[in-house]
Amino acid sequence: MSQPRSSYAVGTGLFIVLGFAALAYLATQTSSVANVRQGDSYVVEAQFTNIGQLKERAPVKVAGVRVGQVQSIALKPGGDVADVKLSIEKAYDRIPQDSVATIFTSGLLGDQYVGIEYGSSKQVVAAGGTLARTKSTQPLEEMLGKFFGAGGVVDNVGGSYTVKASFTNVGTLSAGAPVKMAGVVIGSVQSVHADPVKLNADVVLAIDKRYDAIPDDSSAAVFTSGLIGSQYVAIQPGGSPDALKDGDEMILTQSALQLEDLIGKFLVNGSPGDKKDAGAGNK
Amino acid sequence: MNARAPQGNNVVTQSLAQIGACGLFLLTLLGAIPRSFRYLRETVRQLWFVGAMSLTIIMVCGLFVGMVLMLQLYHVLSIFGGTSASGMVVALSVYRELGPVVTALLFAGRAGTAVTAEIGLMRATDQIDAMEMMAVDPIAYVATPRFLAGLIAMPLLCCVFCAMAIFGGHLVGVTWLGIDNGTFWSNMTAQVDIHTDIVNGVLLKSLAFGAVVSLIAVFQGFTTPPTSEGVAYATTRTVVASSIAILALDFVLTAFLM
Repeated sequence: MSQPRSSYAVGTGLFIVLGFAALAYLATQTSSVANVRQGDSYVVEAQFTNIGQLKERAPVKVAGVRVGQVQSIALKPGGDVADVKLSIEKAYDRIPQDSVATIFTSGLLGDQYVGIEYGSSKQVVAAGGTLARTKSTQPLEEMLGKFFGAGGVVDNVGGSYTVKASFTNVGTLSAGAPVKMAGVVIGSVQSVHADPVKLNADVVLAIDKRYDAIPDDSSAAVFTSGLIGSQYVAIQPGGSPDALKDGDEMILTQSALQLEDLIGKFLVNGSPGDKKDAGAGNK
Repeated sequence: MNARAPQGNNVVTQSLAQIGACGLFLLTLLGAIPRSFRYLRETVRQLWFVGAMSLTIIMVCGLFVGMVLMLQLYHVLSIFGGTSASGMVVALSVYRELGPVVTALLFAGRAGTAVTAEIGLMRATDQIDAMEMMAVDPIAYVATPRFLAGLIAMPLLCCVFCAMAIFGGHLVGVTWLGIDNGTFWSNMTAQVDIHTDIVNGVLLKSLAFGAVVSLIAVFQGFTTPPTSEGVAYATTRTVVASSIAILALDFVLTAFLM
């Protein structure tokens, strides 16, 4: 500390320079103004109809191994497809021309990346070339729809008959939702309407003709597939010798459970809200 | 401090009196800024002392904060398969909260106490009075350079802290735990906004904390009872008052800036 004054000045100057260097680092490397620093790489284009949540600098992978990154994403001028530029390391310059570029998601909630599946062509895609074959991202809603909705419903080739059921609460049940018995899809919900007089929801179920021996005292319940899945109507068979016929009404119904009600019951045991909900059970 | 506060009512009035005196002292300090330009070299010397000398502790602490944050986040986020977002969460939490707050707390402990003790001892040994006798303005020569030095040093230290935290997070996340390097940076750059996170978070907050810590340190030094016991109390009060002020101000600033 007994150094001449100039040592303070030099040290302080160094400190200030270091501070500003750190600020420049934060601003350019970790925030959105960052520039992409490229190694030895070449650029290939690919066009997608839907890129989902793909971001710039997302990885490009072949067989799960990273070979490059997404350089830029732009809407193709005058078109409705996304023009994605992939910057791929020079070491991987033997990608066949007919390879398929697909947008994948790492896990269910993870980030999206571009996967390249090699084709069999002898010709390799050149720098600046285009991967013509692409597969876009699959919106989760579409996949869920296929899984729970129309895709799982039996086709009504053999014809169907309709029965009515009224619920005090159908939750988010909508037309097209599956009707299941013992977990197997036997039909679909044809319509959901509110009854203006009885003030509850009238649901018309279209059930495949093959299932014509369902007892007429069976009960219908609105269930949810999993915690966040879509809702469907489950039919629990009764013991009556008579079967349901076209146009019949199911007497026993069980409404959709509202998550809020459940939590409410759980938290406030015996609150006035219970009286109101008592009628929402079996009718 | 409790020993000096026998009555509950007195604590309130004493605190209010302290805050009021501190505010008046701030006006005096600001008024003395033009006069203190004469002592620019003294400001540089103080900047060296409170800034450059604090670099080691700031850098080491920043590194470890970033490392431990990444380690914790990785294990929590791996439950949801969202480990790729951990770099971004480290950056956002460091820029918005941890960087400015931890830097300010360390700064109060490392530099604030030293300033208080130095000025307090100057007072106890009548150096301040001697300056006045020699027609040297002690506010302009002693107080303002230290205040300005703290004001300049804090944002710079905070930037260094944040950069080290990111480096630590990268070290643990990418090098050790195997998060993809490109995903780490792309998630970070996609979510970190230069205005709300770096300017408002890092720079503005640390500037405010720097002003508060330096003001409290200089004020406590100047108002200390001129005894060795008084200097000890003043040093303690600097840390306590600075810490409370930093955390309270952090809440207010966050509420207004976010």
